Amino acid sequence: MSVPTEHLLILSAILFSIGVAGFFIRRNLIVVLMCIELMLNAANLAFVAGSRHNAFLAGQDQTDLEGPIMVTFVIVVAAVEAAVGLALVIALYRRKQSVDLRELTELEDGSHA
Amino acid sequence: MVDLIFYAAATLSVLAALGVVLARNPVHSVLWLLASFVGIATTYLLSGFQFLAAIQVLVYGGAIMVLFLFVVMLLNLGDPDAEHDAPVMQGGLTPRLGIGIGCIVAALTLLTVANANLAQLPEGVVLPIGGLDPLKQMALAMFTQWTLAFEGASVLLLATAVGVLVLAKRERASVAVSPPQTLTAAKEEAA
Repeated sequence: MSVPTEHLLILSAILFSIGVAGFFIRRNLIVVLMCIELMLNAANLAFVAGSRHNAFLAGQDQTDLEGPIMVTFVIVVAAVEAAVGLALVIALYRRKQSVDLRELTELEDGSHA
Repeated sequence: MVDLIFYAAATLSVLAALGVVLARNPVHSVLWLLASFVGIATTYLLSGFQFLAAIQVLVYGGAIMVLFLFVVMLLNLGDPDAEHDAPVMQGGLTPRLGIGIGCIVAALTLLTVANANLAQLPEGVVLPIGGLDPLKQMALAMFTQWTLAFEGASVLLLATAVGVLVLAKRERASVAVSPPQTLTAAKEEAA
């Protein structure tokens, strides 16, 4: 594939920006978590782009393992984050019967029930 | 030809990412995110990272997305008419702020990429036969150079499993210990 590294990075930047925008726009907690996953994937894509760039610069039959290993760990952390986040969503839903971010205002003015 | 597939996959992942943000129904958001992940996995594959493409589909597309879908359906958020379904906020400051911050991030990162001054890739480089992440070398590196991080990841997963159990089963446990108290508390909360 002769796609320049810049294009991979641009794709990563676009995906990250969509994730950031969605994180602020949406008020459904689950969709916000999905936007975080999107941002993590954009970061992974940047790792992959850099690793591919390094390997191709180094020449034939060279591999660059730091990128893929880092991506593997990021995927582990993303799985952990999704599990904890969704457990929190379930716990919150039990309390408030809602996953609307605007209703989570316990920390706002110190009037904790 | 391969480049065309890359650009098609890139377009798919961007459009699907937009679908995640703009879909009104959370179930549709999950499915769009799945499409986006498949597009990203295709770019990994075309970049020579077969193993990453495989775990992207297996772990993200398989495990994490099923988890999301499971929670969406458990909380019965799939009904678009339901009150707690949250479409993009109408009017107000927050959506404009969100879009503004997104645009700023996009502009900054694109500017950085444009000024990155990367070395040109040599023409006609052939991918190694095993791809850029040959599984054997990756496993070797994982269990020699990155052992500490690997063990850290296992501890993290264990802690997560315990933490998620505590978070998700807390109420049921308290019901089992003292049902009358919890019922009164629930009534007080409802009132």
